[in-house]
Amino acid sequence: MKKILLLATLTLAPLFAQVEGDIEVPYIPFEVKMGKGFDAVNANCLTCHSFGYVTNQGPQSKSFWRKKVQKMIVHFKAPITKEDADTVTEYLFEEYGNGEQ
Amino acid sequence: MKRRDFFKTSLAGAAAAMATTLEAGVTRQPIDNRKVSEIAFPEKRPMITYSDRPPLLESPRSTFAQAITPNDEFFVRWHMPEIPTHIDPSTFTIKVDGLVERELNITLDFLKDPANFEQVTVTSVLQCGGNSRSAFQPTAGGIQWGHGAMGCAKWKGVRLRDLLDQAGLKKDAEWIGFNGRDNAAYYETPNFVRELHLDELDDHVILAYEMNDEDLPYLNGFPLRLVIPGYYSDSWVKMLSNITVTNKYKKLFFMDVAYRVPDNDCECETPEKRAKNTKPITKMNVKSIIGYPVNNEVIQMKSHVVVRGVAFDDGHGIRDVLISVDGGKSWKPAILDKGAAGRYAFRAFSFAFKPMKYGKMTIMAKAINKIGQSQPLAQEIKWNHGGYKFNGIDVVTVQVV
Repeated sequence: MKKILLLATLTLAPLFAQVEGDIEVPYIPFEVKMGKGFDAVNANCLTCHSFGYVTNQGPQSKSFWRKKVQKMIVHFKAPITKEDADTVTEYLFEEYGNGEQ
Repeated sequence: MKRRDFFKTSLAGAAAAMATTLEAGVTRQPIDNRKVSEIAFPEKRPMITYSDRPPLLESPRSTFAQAITPNDEFFVRWHMPEIPTHIDPSTFTIKVDGLVERELNITLDFLKDPANFEQVTVTSVLQCGGNSRSAFQPTAGGIQWGHGAMGCAKWKGVRLRDLLDQAGLKKDAEWIGFNGRDNAAYYETPNFVRELHLDELDDHVILAYEMNDEDLPYLNGFPLRLVIPGYYSDSWVKMLSNITVTNKYKKLFFMDVAYRVPDNDCECETPEKRAKNTKPITKMNVKSIIGYPVNNEVIQMKSHVVVRGVAFDDGHGIRDVLISVDGGKSWKPAILDKGAAGRYAFRAFSFAFKPMKYGKMTIMAKAINKIGQSQPLAQEIKWNHGGYKFNGIDVVTVQVV
């Protein structure tokens, strides 16, 4: 059984726009499926972007998720180990896959 | 199939260009009626919210019943998560360097002073290349936007050309690179840089500090952003800080890897056979969206309904918007606004009718521009892996009671 938890690992990011007063961009508690490998997602993916950025890509194939992880490593220079890359791919496909390899 | 046949005969020009057999992807209407968040972002009313870091916000369909998109309902799309937490407009400077006679490092006040630069305005649509992406099947990579990753505003600022003139371009200057203040979490991550060839530069390209007579909202690029009318928004660099002139094109992720479509006539491919050659998305294609009524709206039998929406293209200008209230069997012209906002703006349309049958009914809108380009049916649009440039005929289904 999969537990759905609200992710609250990121702190509020204070942002400032207008001349007067601080403005904060709100933290949005996106629903997270706590599956096998989520720790690796938390450590490697959510440093840079929210979980909504992941789930709003829609259900995808395993090769899609693998390519996305590779894109983060190759193009965005995310320091993700090979082992974590595999773990993250498995998690994303298991929880947000479309059944296709 | 009857509806499809009708289109092929009645829209000879458009149909001929699109009349290839259906391949793997079957395109549909984008996902609509997504829930508006209960949480509002700075200077915004609650919007459809895909991500908080970086902020990704979509306007609901009802926004498009008007020709100008209000600032607090205007969509937001950042790429990098580290957006400065503090911008002081009194010390913010824009730097112009590279192949120029004089390096510039100028403040907002200097830029806004009519003694230094002519202050100009342009009303223009800003649209994400992936707007309406959720129409594509199989699911294309990227945020599954509905129709609301677009908007139209009146932008005020100074001409890029005037700024470059003040810096003085050197003889071999050819490319202009733009960078903003947003940054990645890692130092090595490439910046979100856009390069423009000097040939692409015209008097409509401006550095804007105002949007609809207000300071740019923080999330739309305060205090200064690039405005390139007719182009998709990946080119409109936000929180602009650096302009660097070069003689050589520098390979960049966002122009050379992301934001590209197949370089063929249909700009299409299949998931199994991806196109080898690709090109950057640049100019927008013709499109229209119905803002009222919205999907599932209940309207009264024999009441006076006025369909409202907006149409636009890359600057050729809209010639006609045709409306069908019988599922595409017949089309009638909508009334267009006078077009006073210029060729890059939303052209608002309205169409009055009386529903005469109970039950579900569809309302369709199709725009045609001044060079005869028109919108194909959603299902005639072929797939591309990034889900870019969707411009299918808009369809809204309502309930007549």
